[in-house]
Amino acid sequence: MATKSGNATALTVLSPIKNGIVNGVSYADITRERCLRLPIHERSPLARVPNTYLARLFILDDVFYESLPGSDSVFNFSEITSIFSDSARRDALPRIDHLKSKYLVFSSNFYGDLDEYLVGMWEKWAYYDKGQQRDVRHIWEHCVAFEAVTDCNRFMDYIKRCQFDAALFFNGSTDDSLQEQLKALYLKQEFSKFVAVHQGKSAAEIQRAFKTFIEQVQPENLDQPSWLPGQSTP
Amino acid sequence: MVTWAVNALTLPSVEINSKKFCNQIYEGVIMAQNLDLTDIQGNIVKAYGSFGFLKARYLFLSIADGDRGRAFVGAMTTKVTSAERWDKKSSPLVTTNIGFTFSGLQALELPTASLIGFPEDFVMGMKKRKAILGDDGPSDPENWDKIWQETAHIWMSINGKSIEAIEERYQWIVEQIEASGGGVTLLTGHRGEKGEEDLPYQDASVLYDQDGKPSAKEHFGYTDGISDPVFEGQTNNQARVLGRGKLTSTGGWEPLATGEFILGHIDEAMEYPNTAPRPDLLSNNGTYMVYRKLHENVGSFNRFLDEQSESFPGSKEMLAAKFSGRWRDNGAPVVNAPDDASKTEWDKKYAAADPAAQRRMLTDFNYNDDISGAKCPLSAHTRRINPRGSLEFGVKDAFDTPGALVNRRRILRRGLPYGIVKDASKDDGNHGIIFMVINVDIKRQFEFVQQQWINFGNDFKQGNDRDVLLGNQSAQNPGRVVIQVEPGSGKPPHFVTNIPRLVETRGGDYFFIPSITALKMIAGGIIDPT
Repeated sequence: MATKSGNATALTVLSPIKNGIVNGVSYADITRERCLRLPIHERSPLARVPNTYLARLFILDDVFYESLPGSDSVFNFSEITSIFSDSARRDALPRIDHLKSKYLVFSSNFYGDLDEYLVGMWEKWAYYDKGQQRDVRHIWEHCVAFEAVTDCNRFMDYIKRCQFDAALFFNGSTDDSLQEQLKALYLKQEFSKFVAVHQGKSAAEIQRAFKTFIEQVQPENLDQPSWLPGQSTP
Repeated sequence: MVTWAVNALTLPSVEINSKKFCNQIYEGVIMAQNLDLTDIQGNIVKAYGSFGFLKARYLFLSIADGDRGRAFVGAMTTKVTSAERWDKKSSPLVTTNIGFTFSGLQALELPTASLIGFPEDFVMGMKKRKAILGDDGPSDPENWDKIWQETAHIWMSINGKSIEAIEERYQWIVEQIEASGGGVTLLTGHRGEKGEEDLPYQDASVLYDQDGKPSAKEHFGYTDGISDPVFEGQTNNQARVLGRGKLTSTGGWEPLATGEFILGHIDEAMEYPNTAPRPDLLSNNGTYMVYRKLHENVGSFNRFLDEQSESFPGSKEMLAAKFSGRWRDNGAPVVNAPDDASKTEWDKKYAAADPAAQRRMLTDFNYNDDISGAKCPLSAHTRRINPRGSLEFGVKDAFDTPGALVNRRRILRRGLPYGIVKDASKDDGNHGIIFMVINVDIKRQFEFVQQQWINFGNDFKQGNDRDVLLGNQSAQNPGRVVIQVEPGSGKPPHFVTNIPRLVETRGGDYFFIPSITALKMIAGGIIDPT
């Protein structure tokens, strides 16, 4: 399955969480709480990781039970086995699978290549929780073998080992860099305001105003003025 | 059982022509949707206004005691108007219909096993759905008529051909309320014409023109209620389906599935609606109704239209038409009369047409030749609430059927204007529309339209632009819409800006409208969900 779509990359990571309990709380629940406590919008650590289009974190408790396999094939499996004893019939049914541990799932869509993005996660992921500054290790802390992750290279290796090959792309983004997209959004909104204010004026007036407008919005300057990553209100 | 078996066995042997037999079944039974019109309340199937009922009175009641409440419902049931077909001679002078909020059904002591089958939107009621509906600022429930500070249990409507007929039925209901010995109370607190705050009923009436003739207009001057949906079993008249049913891939029209509007019938997904409580006898032939008192800020509308038309390249009436999708004077669809010159031509053709052709001119159209919105803007009110096939955006056969994104979002509109505008330069006073919606799934139909198509514009590629007339614009967040022009024409699109809140919610709730069978069972306390 392709994890690249043009310049966009889809990253899906499943990291097993240790089966264990600290002070009556499981590692999975500690990790879940840390995920739920992450600040959102501008304060989200993901807003600081360069080029993140959209990302989410959640705990996968178990596989989802869909139902027994369908019985619309040529013959009905359970009907055939019903000539045997009930326990034989039940033994013949497919086993219901469960996960051996709970998983931390991280799913992200971003611009560019994986290595560069993972460096960004290691270096830029930062936020305050209960007055303490936290980095990316705080979320992954209780995942199996994460204690060996002590530098950026080992973090990259770890994430790649947990990577799950799935083309989960967010359908609300192009494959341009985040800065490019945010600037485009900003320009579109500012331009529609400009049009509303200046419609009906003479061509000369509009041209003058447009020059001033361009000076203000600086279309070539991707840094500013623009929307900030994660910004939720004007 | 034995008797039946013997009779069956002793039936004379007849040779059955299976093909003919099947055809008879298809033609006689399966294809035709025969509704139990005498079991369905009349307001579901009929827009009373078009039968000469020009006035209405709406009452809201509270139930204090289950036994006496049920006895009252029993008395009302004797006068409830069914959907039985009428001709001019057989139609009554006055109609009566009844519905219940979820609290009302609790007060009537429906079994818990039935109550838990009602959908969450209905259980919550309109006030608690305010974030979905955009009822904020002046539309916030705290600013509604005083009556809505109490809990309404029963809604009743009286539609009449004269105010005398309404008054007579009203007095009869009041007598029954008195006879309930406090079991049922008529709630007061409707705002009235003379500044009253505590009226015991809400009156509504068609508006009359300068010559005193009844009109189909509302207070902003638009002609209302032209293209109400048509569903299977409602009419045998194919002409009424044009532009009002669902669009087919060949450009024709078919009635919508009954189950979009009446419980117990197949809907557009070929399923029974999943909003029906148990048992079937409680829900079959019933439906849900949304009641909303919508105040119209006539002064703001007139000022806004005047201001905006100064910079608009066209007449003021043309701009008003672009807001709505129909011209104010006669309801001409803007898509077929997109500017002042073409409107003049349309009017000439309309004047020369016979009544059937006139009706077609008003309803039988689509947006296939106007994908860009150059004729009828993508944000126009009637295009928003009934996009017909336009959500395919010109990609023929993009979906199984051109109305795939529309057919599950249709609502029947009932109701009438209320109040009189005494000063067209002011907003205050008591005038607007009593807006009632019939649908089987409030969340999927009414609330979706209100949230996504009135207060948002993304489905029409209009970002977060809202409906000019009904959107919940505010001073902090004024509205904006674009009036498109023909691509490549060299003309700039026109931006309408600073749109104020033109319509405010003044009250309302969600009601269950049971069948007449269900009414009798509710009254008898014999609803059995087992």
